[in-house]
Amino acid sequence: MSKQAYMRVENIEKKFGPFIALGGVDLSVYPGEVHALLGDNGAGKSTLIKILSGVHQPSSGSIYIEGAKREFRNPRDAAAAGIGTVYQDLAINQLMSVTRNFFMGRELTSRFGSLRMDEMNQIAHDEMLKIGIDFSDPTQAVGTMSGGQRQTLAIARAIYFGAKVLILDEPTSALGQKQQMEVLKTIKRVRARGDIAIIFITHNEIHSRLIADRYTFLALGKVIGSGTKAELEGEDIRRLMAGGAEIKDLEQELSAI
Amino acid sequence: MSERSESDRLQREGWLQRMLRRPEIGSFIVMVLIITALAIASEGKAFNALGLKNNIAIISQLGIIAVGAALLMIAGEFDLSIGPMIAFAGMSIAVMMKWGLPFGLGEATPFLAFLITLAMTLAFGWIIGNIVVRSGLSSFIVTLAFWFFLRGLTEVCFRLINQNTNVSGLPDFKKESWFAEQMGGEVFGWLFDAWYWIGTKVSAGLEFTGDMTKSEKLDLINYLSFLNINRKMEQWVTGFDARLFWFILIAGVAWYVLARTQLGSWIYATGDNKESARANGVPVNRVKIGLFMFSAFCATIFATCQVFDTNSSDAAKGMFKELEAIAIAVVGGILMTGGFGSIVGVIFGAVTFGLVANAVFFIPWIDGAWFRVFVGTVLLAAVFANERIRKRITGGI
Repeated sequence: MSKQAYMRVENIEKKFGPFIALGGVDLSVYPGEVHALLGDNGAGKSTLIKILSGVHQPSSGSIYIEGAKREFRNPRDAAAAGIGTVYQDLAINQLMSVTRNFFMGRELTSRFGSLRMDEMNQIAHDEMLKIGIDFSDPTQAVGTMSGGQRQTLAIARAIYFGAKVLILDEPTSALGQKQQMEVLKTIKRVRARGDIAIIFITHNEIHSRLIADRYTFLALGKVIGSGTKAELEGEDIRRLMAGGAEIKDLEQELSAI
Repeated sequence: MSERSESDRLQREGWLQRMLRRPEIGSFIVMVLIITALAIASEGKAFNALGLKNNIAIISQLGIIAVGAALLMIAGEFDLSIGPMIAFAGMSIAVMMKWGLPFGLGEATPFLAFLITLAMTLAFGWIIGNIVVRSGLSSFIVTLAFWFFLRGLTEVCFRLINQNTNVSGLPDFKKESWFAEQMGGEVFGWLFDAWYWIGTKVSAGLEFTGDMTKSEKLDLINYLSFLNINRKMEQWVTGFDARLFWFILIAGVAWYVLARTQLGSWIYATGDNKESARANGVPVNRVKIGLFMFSAFCATIFATCQVFDTNSSDAAKGMFKELEAIAIAVVGGILMTGGFGSIVGVIFGAVTFGLVANAVFFIPWIDGAWFRVFVGTVLLAAVFANERIRKRITGGI
């Protein structure tokens, strides 16, 4: 493929004291693609996304945005470079309205500091409609929304405020079946826009197969496999998911007990 | 596939239903009940010209500090230092008015004494706020420490400068200082003038005559008191306490900020979930420090009104006021956990508390201590009601 990667990271290492959380990770994400980042607990997924979103600084290695080397000293730097992260807790406040959540910290104000509430309601409604939810009343509290709808709100917010790389941290975990599908649909709609690169972090092999174009597998802080959907065989994905172990080995280990 | 989506599960409601679901509804109903009960028990005396003035005075007084406490609670913090802050500010102003400015800088004017005092109380608010946000300790403990600190400091300052823990018999500064008049004087006199004018029209022809029995005279006095006319047939009450002006101003600004501005959104966001507020770029710490300072500001206004109204101050001023302010905020529908509430509810709460606190003056047979029994009962009921509201909003029921 001749597409240019929006973001490319090279040989990222992160040490916490003597502990090597990441031991040289490469990753490229392309606009209009879903890049699934898979790995077991403790594989280094969280550390990697915290580096990409500016929360942690890498011990070594570099991040390139559209070919230019960038350093993220804090989350604001990352956000300015177009990295939008939707964490598992979504950074959403339950008691506040959809609109107030959508614009939290970035409210539209008139000259005297008062809120342009009607305009904000309209934008929140329209932006959520674009990726699939017709929310008739954006003044209602987020506490009344389902988990899937909250995901959509957080994603729509990240896109509206300029995310070119959308990092989704396990968006389908802790949701019911139907809501998981809603979230996957939302992700596909974002993908269909064609201008946003999505990093989809998940445990769930089935979900990743449904929507991912490209894969990176992490185990113990290293990339143990990566490639496009075509390059990886289905069986391969399952093996890599298990941290490189053969499923047969696991079966044997289990039956030995 | 059905066309139904999650959002359709939320029922559309009529106007009345929506009003009944408003968080202020509980405090509104309690307020209406109290007004009715007081009107009946006092035979209306609580709402004649003087009764209204006296009730509004205490309502405003409590309201001023309750608004400060409420904003802080919405942002998720407590301030137990309101009462001692009142005592400190009162001490500071009264001592300066009696003994002059510090460091021998000469005579104090009311406005100057207020400004210097405000600078000190705002500094205390800033220190409290900084300790709370930097240490991550509970504001309950930090402000409890300042409760003791400021109570003690007030008494020590009184003794060191004044040799006595009270200043009384100050000259009446209201005559010469516009500022003292604006804090401790009267406002909205035109309202009572108009009331009196209407009263004279309504009561035209009525007068006290020699052949009236004592009870007839009492009845007439009672009647005239509702027309703002005293027993000499002159205007009875000339205006509300200036506190009302400050209450309206502070509550009005707080309401506008909370409901209509970016800062208001930040206050809600801070109290709801400060981590997600921070992740979205809300300056959580600055919001909290600012609100601790605002709480100190409200306490200072309270104290200034008190000093220039009574021309005195003592070390016991503001006793229990922090607890009353928090109680009013809770009764007004502010959640103990923050992130929710409105100023309108707090105003209802202040009216309720002010009326009940004053009730003993209008109902002679009642024991004043019932006030606290009432506060305790209503407070507990309000906490339960608020918890229900919170669960409903967050989908917990």
